[in-house]
Amino acid sequence: MTKTTNDVNALAVGANETRADAKAKAQGREPYAADYYPDGVLWAGAVRPGARQGVAHARLLAIDTAAAAALPGVVKILTAADVPGTNRQGIVHKDMPVLVGDKLRYAGDPVALVIAESREALRQAIGLVVVSLEPLPAVCDPVAAMAEGAVRVHDERADNLLAAAEIRLGEGAQGLDHCDVVVAGSFSTPVQAHGFIETENGVACCAPDGSLTMTISTQAPFRDRMEIAHALGLSFDQIRIVAPCLGGGFGGKDGATVQCLLALAALHSDGRPVKMVWGREENLLAGYRRHSCRVDYRLGANRDGTLEAVHCRLVYDTGAYAHLGGEVMALGMEHAGGPYRIPHVLIEGQCVYTNNPVAGAMRAFGVCQVTFAFEAMIAELARELGIDPLALRRQNALLPGDTNCAGVVVGESTGIADCLDLIAGHPLWLERAAWKDAAPPGTQRGVGLAAVFNAAGYGAKVRDSAIAKVELTGDGQFVVHNAVSDMGQGNAAAFVQIAGHVLQQDAARVSVRQPDTATAYPSGSSSAGRTTFTFGNALIVACEQLKARLINRAGLLLFVDDDSTLTLVPGKIVHQASAREVSLARLAGFLRDEERSCLGEYVAPLCPDPGTGKGFFIGFPHVVFAYGAHLARIEVDLSTGQIRVVDYLAVTDGGQVINPAMYDQQVHGGVAQGLGYALMEDLATRDGQVLAGDFSRYLIPGALDLPEITSVACPGEESRGPFGMKGIGEVAMNGPLPAVANALADGCAIHLRDAPLTPERVLLALESLAEESSQ
Amino acid sequence: MSAWFSPDSIDDALALIERHPDARLIAGGTDLLVRRRSEMSDIPLISLERVAALQGIEEVREDGMLAIGAATRIAELAVSPLLAANAPLLQRAALSFGAPAIRNMASVGGNLCTASPAGDCLPPLHALGAQVELIARAGRRRLPISDFIVGPGRTSLAPGEIVTRVLLPSRDRFAWQAYEKIGRRQSLAISVVSFAALLRLDDEQRIAEAHLAWGSVGPTVVTAPELANWLLGKPLDQSLIDVAAERARAAVCPIDDLRAGADYRRALAGNLLRRFLRRVQHG
Ligand SMILES: Cc1cc2nc3c(=O)[nH]c(=O)nc-3n(C[C@H](O)[C@H](O)[C@H](O)COP(=O)(O)OP(=O)(O)OC[C@H]3O[C@@H](n4cnc5c(N)ncnc54)[C@H](O)[C@@H]3O)c2cc1C
Repeated sequence: MTKTTNDVNALAVGANETRADAKAKAQGREPYAADYYPDGVLWAGAVRPGARQGVAHARLLAIDTAAAAALPGVVKILTAADVPGTNRQGIVHKDMPVLVGDKLRYAGDPVALVIAESREALRQAIGLVVVSLEPLPAVCDPVAAMAEGAVRVHDERADNLLAAAEIRLGEGAQGLDHCDVVVAGSFSTPVQAHGFIETENGVACCAPDGSLTMTISTQAPFRDRMEIAHALGLSFDQIRIVAPCLGGGFGGKDGATVQCLLALAALHSDGRPVKMVWGREENLLAGYRRHSCRVDYRLGANRDGTLEAVHCRLVYDTGAYAHLGGEVMALGMEHAGGPYRIPHVLIEGQCVYTNNPVAGAMRAFGVCQVTFAFEAMIAELARELGIDPLALRRQNALLPGDTNCAGVVVGESTGIADCLDLIAGHPLWLERAAWKDAAPPGTQRGVGLAAVFNAAGYGAKVRDSAIAKVELTGDGQFVVHNAVSDMGQGNAAAFVQIAGHVLQQDAARVSVRQPDTATAYPSGSSSAGRTTFTFGNALIVACEQLKARLINRAGLLLFVDDDSTLTLVPGKIVHQASAREVSLARLAGFLRDEERSCLGEYVAPLCPDPGTGKGFFIGFPHVVFAYGAHLARIEVDLSTGQIRVVDYLAVTDGGQVINPAMYDQQVHGGVAQGLGYALMEDLATRDGQVLAGDFSRYLIPGALDLPEITSVACPGEESRGPFGMKGIGEVAMNGPLPAVANALADGCAIHLRDAPLTPERVLLALESLAEESSQ
Repeated sequence: MSAWFSPDSIDDALALIERHPDARLIAGGTDLLVRRRSEMSDIPLISLERVAALQGIEEVREDGMLAIGAATRIAELAVSPLLAANAPLLQRAALSFGAPAIRNMASVGGNLCTASPAGDCLPPLHALGAQVELIARAGRRRLPISDFIVGPGRTSLAPGEIVTRVLLPSRDRFAWQAYEKIGRRQSLAISVVSFAALLRLDDEQRIAEAHLAWGSVGPTVVTAPELANWLLGKPLDQSLIDVAAERARAAVCPIDDLRAGADYRRALAGNLLRRFLRRVQHG
């Protein structure tokens, strides 16, 4: 056993290690599902007649495929009659047909699937399929949809209600009766698109034995198998899903997009691979999107500022199909009282079917809608009471051991008060008065705050577990078998860092294999701030086990009986006292294949039922929360109503930090997406038809629209998280809309209740304010 | 896929047009290719990018005008010293145009021929009193930009005709030049309202000459000549500014669309003029 010098450093949790995927992504070499073009690939695409014919709700009378089928290069055209199985997809509620057979419930419903030799033939053939529809009256307003006698989206749901629930604490709404001050407001939030760069796509191939292999841009490879199997009458173990890195997901690739259609196409492609890629227009029509929401609030407090009671009603528009609508509503309700102590609470929620496009999961689902309203109410209360808005928040902020608005007693890792204190001491806050006074002519400046939180994990009644696998290769390298997709948030890089840390290896010796249901193990979806938390915990278990095994085997080889004298270092195990060592490559040679891998399992903490909720199905309540306090400094152009966000500060309590740079990236991304939501993003529809159907009309912010974003990590620790961390992928999304709206109220005394805060809305509000004050 | 021709002279281009009457001219393709994305037609394309006579910005000795070749890229407008001296407002428009990649492809001729009410070159060119030069087998003609653009997406370009140059009369006597584009974001945004102005004061600080133009507030650029004339000889004070802004609101005829409502556009048209006149007032 020769001695080599140890000249490399092991990866360390907490250090700014370079993201494992940084180089490949910067060079454009990281393969996405969209990059796979197998030889002889066919193309599949859906016929969606609703958008073409301008109807959102219609009976399907007939499909004439003759002209399309006659086109050279067209292989097959399938309709609902060709779908084996239930022909129903959905994560929880299976209410969405793979191909519609009876009626269209929204403009993007597919009625036929075309398979062709080329993309061009596919495009032409889709245009040649003639679909006769009998238009039905459509219901596109969620409140109207709940009215008596409203048109039914699903025949079996007379009230169009997907879900309705309530949370009650203390005296509920009666608590408002004995408040000194009550503020009230009604709010609306827009539909937001995920705007990921890689649209929904995948490629699939059916082997002669009937097994399906699919490479998909997906956040939930293991669940996909179940969804496809259910919809198409297959067995889940016939289906293998490979999930390369995603070009963005944000929730929009959680649940079937191309999966069932593509699997159906593969079943009809005689063993040839088949590819489906949605264009941007199809993404904005048939992809999932954020729920729009209408919110009514009443918030009451004592004269000294103590919050006493809140009553709110939330109406979420889920569109034509359920997706996770009920769970989105539930999560919004759970956050509807903000990160504060409020003894008397009544939160009522409804999630409603309409003939609008399908809403589903999106970063901070359900929560960013209510945060807008709640934080505007808090700001208004502060004005009403003459209390500093930061002090009012701090006074009521949840502390460890307090009961939150859902009746859950919050744990040690509850850092909202600390986050607010960090804002209070920051120059951007301390120097606000002078900054506002220095507004250039024709502008006005304002400073706004938001205190936010976001639960992590699936919530009650849904098993939230992960199984991690780590492998020592035959040549002494380590491979982490990731099972939760990396959609760009960097979880795979975090796993490399965690594995390197536990196994004391450097970056060159640890790699990651992206999810593949054939080699990894079911670990849930990449979502809900759970990805690194749950899988990371399982990975630590796996790595510890493998480490113990390697130490044991090295002890056998080196004739050492005391484990504590053996250390794992990059590439080898050394016995310091005798200066002997064994390389991992050599050690691997002594191990049988099955010994070179270890599995670790983890189940996330459960929440005891606080008995405060009624009508919840799953996903209520949660026990782990990330917190944040945000500050926006804005400058309003009084001639145009344009808002320029000049500075942005986001303080985040995410427990311990695994990688500071990746932490900040998550916060920057969340704030950027949140500012888009605040200022411009609006996937509006008219009569169920998408108006902003491409990226020239659906605007997301560009570099020039975003300020320098300062991210500050609030010190803290979540003892149940891997290395004390908790997920922060979502919480930052919640701050920008209320922070900017509050800054607008601060600077210009206008109170916009409808988002986004467009220049038009701002200018009209400024004009009516001027009219009022001149009267 | 369709045929692609790349002539290197105007004569060759005209000959190709004659041989392929169904062909379309393409300069930067930033409008044409977007449209073909949904139509994917097989129509042959005649590219103008190699025709040297259509490129660049130069002074025309005889009549003291500036000539901009139709295929000149927007990015080139943005850095031209000749424009900096003569028509800085056109430069400002170029800098507000799309984003760098688009500016490197898009041409001024394409912007004219697309004739979008929101085209960013159009208000400055109207305010500058630009002329458009056209060529066909039958010969050359020249017409004022206001006669060239006749409606939204409509021009008086005849079949077989090519825009060769845009000609700018000398405007260096205008100390005040402005272009403002208000869009829904800071780059890659179609204007909600745009505003171009040229203004000169006399020695007594009265308005001696003014040319105004607004984009996206009507089917074509709105120049409001009555308003510009009304300003002449008047001292630039607060009451004049208020009335002028009011008149601007009345002069435009915007519509509601996804980007903004008509009322907002009307308000902006007035506010942008007000802001410009205030700037002039404060020197
Ligand atoms: C992402 C994006 C952003 C954009 N942003 C802006 C913006 O901010 N402001 C703006 O005004 N526009 C914008 N546009 C629109 C477009 O870039 C401009 O209108 C541009 O000036 C078109 O020039 P082009 O050379 O690309 O035209 P092309 O697409 O090549 O041609 C457009 C039309 O003009 C005809 N044509 C071109 N040259 C001639 C000629 N010399 N003689 C006769 N006919 C001719 C073509 O046949 C075609 O019909 C944007 C477009 C995109 C895709």
